[in-house]
Amino acid sequence: MGDYTSLKVLDRFKWLFQKLHIDYEVMRKILQLKLTMDARRMPTVFNGSKVKKEGNQFVKSLWLYVLYGLILLTPFLFLGDQFIFSVSIMFSVLMFILMTSMVSDYSAVLLDIRDKNILHTKPISTRTLNAAKIAHILIYMFLLTGSFVIIPLVVSIIRHGITFALIFAIEIILISCLVVVLTAFVYLFILRFFSGEKLKDIINYVQIILSIAVMIGYQLVIRSFDIINLDITYTYAWWHLLLPPIWFGAPFELFLNNNLSPHIIIMTIFALLAPILSIVIYICLMSAFERNLAKLASDSNRKKMKSRKLAKFWSNVLCRTKEERTFYMFSSLMMTQERDVKLKIYPQIGMAFIIPFIFLFNELRDRPLEEVAAGNTYMIIYFSLIMIPTVIHMLKFSGTYKGQWIFRAAPIHNESSIYSGTLKACIINYFIPVFLVLSVLFGWLFSIRILPDLFVVLLVAIAITLVSYIILNGEVYPFSNSHEHTRDISSLKVFGGMLVIGLFVIVHLILSKIPFGLYVYMLLLIIGILIGWKKTFPRNIKKEAIR
Amino acid sequence: MTKQKVLSLTDVTMSFGNKQALNGVNLEVYQGQIIGYIGPNGAGKSTTVKIMLGLIEGYKGEIEIFGEDIANGDVSYKRKIGYVPETAELYDNLTACEYLTFTGELYGLSTEDAQSKAMKLMNEFNLETVFHQRLSSYSKGMKQKVLIISSLLHDPDLLFFDEPLSGLDANSVMIIKEILDQLAKRGKTIFYSSHIMDVVEKISNRIILLVEGRVVADGTFEELQAQSKEGTLEEIFNQLTGFSEHKEIAEKFVEIVSEGKVNG
Repeated sequence: MGDYTSLKVLDRFKWLFQKLHIDYEVMRKILQLKLTMDARRMPTVFNGSKVKKEGNQFVKSLWLYVLYGLILLTPFLFLGDQFIFSVSIMFSVLMFILMTSMVSDYSAVLLDIRDKNILHTKPISTRTLNAAKIAHILIYMFLLTGSFVIIPLVVSIIRHGITFALIFAIEIILISCLVVVLTAFVYLFILRFFSGEKLKDIINYVQIILSIAVMIGYQLVIRSFDIINLDITYTYAWWHLLLPPIWFGAPFELFLNNNLSPHIIIMTIFALLAPILSIVIYICLMSAFERNLAKLASDSNRKKMKSRKLAKFWSNVLCRTKEERTFYMFSSLMMTQERDVKLKIYPQIGMAFIIPFIFLFNELRDRPLEEVAAGNTYMIIYFSLIMIPTVIHMLKFSGTYKGQWIFRAAPIHNESSIYSGTLKACIINYFIPVFLVLSVLFGWLFSIRILPDLFVVLLVAIAITLVSYIILNGEVYPFSNSHEHTRDISSLKVFGGMLVIGLFVIVHLILSKIPFGLYVYMLLLIIGILIGWKKTFPRNIKKEAIR
Repeated sequence: MTKQKVLSLTDVTMSFGNKQALNGVNLEVYQGQIIGYIGPNGAGKSTTVKIMLGLIEGYKGEIEIFGEDIANGDVSYKRKIGYVPETAELYDNLTACEYLTFTGELYGLSTEDAQSKAMKLMNEFNLETVFHQRLSSYSKGMKQKVLIISSLLHDPDLLFFDEPLSGLDANSVMIIKEILDQLAKRGKTIFYSSHIMDVVEKISNRIILLVEGRVVADGTFEELQAQSKEGTLEEIFNQLTGFSEHKEIAEKFVEIVSEGKVNG
């Protein structure tokens, strides 16, 4: 356990804690332990990158937040002098990022039920324990917010002067408090009415949303500077009183533009009072919060079974043997219920869905809609296939990989049916939904004439699924490796995958020029897939003799 | 009815790198026996069971189960085996219903049969209310019961139970003991490894003691008693594993505990 700079800073405030009758030495020890544990956790923003688990990943992830601050906040500082508009947008972004990071990465801090067993049984006062918890959260909040706003803050001094920066800094502190308390309230609310499992699911979805938002954030970089030239004037409406980011825009108007209209004053008061009030309520409700945490390990009192008619239907249509159907059902459940699997794969699917649109919009900026609709821009739907190699690779891993003993202990006659079922489930559960939505939208945009092309894309997707499996996995049991030992899929392989997709696109383009070429291509693909699948997953193999 | 040979191990050795886990194990097990498989930590008990199930490969020697060499590549012998692993590892993001149906199907049951049988068995353990809840919300004992059900769902002839009673309350332990007894009376063979000596003493009709990858004692409890002239299985265990300094260790331990003063 190392000594942390944040703790040394905290030492300066020792007198404050002691005045509040808090056992500072004990609190410091708890914090030191917690920080050490956190250093061994992986923040969501790093999801998918190949950092090794050494050093405090959190501190390294802060650089990413500095970058976000530059990209997502700074442009708005140049948005004219009507502060309430520009600042409100900035604070919306800030609150969104802080809130999602809070939920996704620090839920472990807020929701540690181990605390109860380990710390509450020791002779430590509740006061000290709560102080430790709050200090722990504050350290994070300080580092996170600090790195996020550092660049905008410096820029704001230059652009709008010191008064602006001062109001900005104070408001950021208030917002941080509000965000922490709001997050806690969200948990409290969910736990009050739902089960712990539901909460974990919700946290999981927030993590997924954050991952997707971060990826889209990159895409916004190019566009964000376009907005600067926009000239929008702010007009007040009563429902603005319900939007916290606008409250925080109001003080700038009040103090810098001397706007003394009543709604600005009301919102300024809100901006000041709401965080303070929320903290008071939070302290009052802290014990209720702890009580509800006990529910964390519970599941809802579901008595009925979820019917999985659709999955059953597909398993009957697509699988030839009963064994394969069993694995199809099992894989479908893993893909939709296992949180680690979802956290790794869903962002990829989100990207697969979004990338074609980004290219489409780029295209639409240069040319009118009619011209685009008449051309072959619809080929960008192939970009949604890029996710397939990565997703197939991810099927190797899961958080419950230790359950895999059952594969070996059970009398499985044809082990090739395991992955065969899994890949089919992967196509149906992951690819088809994205592809269907894209197809409907593209079909509507480019008219019904692209139907044969879309069918070819579907076949290519299946072919690529098979090829990726052969190249990247080539093993017997899915979901049987730990994420912790993920050596990330080498970029060479991903690049190779893109190259293969590129080849398919070229063939597609050439053949679409020849009459009936597309239909011949279709036939060839179908035959190729059928033969390839049979070869990869032979029906009657005996497990080779062991020893 | 002549007792049928269910499994036999001949000169089985196994090593992990330099470490020799099994040093030539020889065993013959007959139908209807409840075998208490005991030994100190790291003696190779779990390894033996895992080899017989095909979870670990690379052993030397010969293993026959139901008269078939398990190395011949045919896995159908596993259909008649039920297994409860030592650590309660399962896919705990699934519900009990989903997990049990899945494992039942792997052993050749139809979906409907697996599900209804699982429900009935869960009912007997008073777990019907949590049948559709995720296993991650289960207590250790509840997970253990699910594992026991999953090992019995397909009505196997040979059972490998690795520490099956861990986490179970006294009443459940009584139920499981009775279940094992009745299963044995119906001709099932049970291979049972545990560290709780008085349970092994009571339910097994044959006890095998493994030390450092070798069988050092094999027989009924009475035979072992006569052999080593000790009263309880625990004492026999201590004697055969050559362990007698428990008092000295305990004394030292307590000595260290009371040493020094706690601050404040």
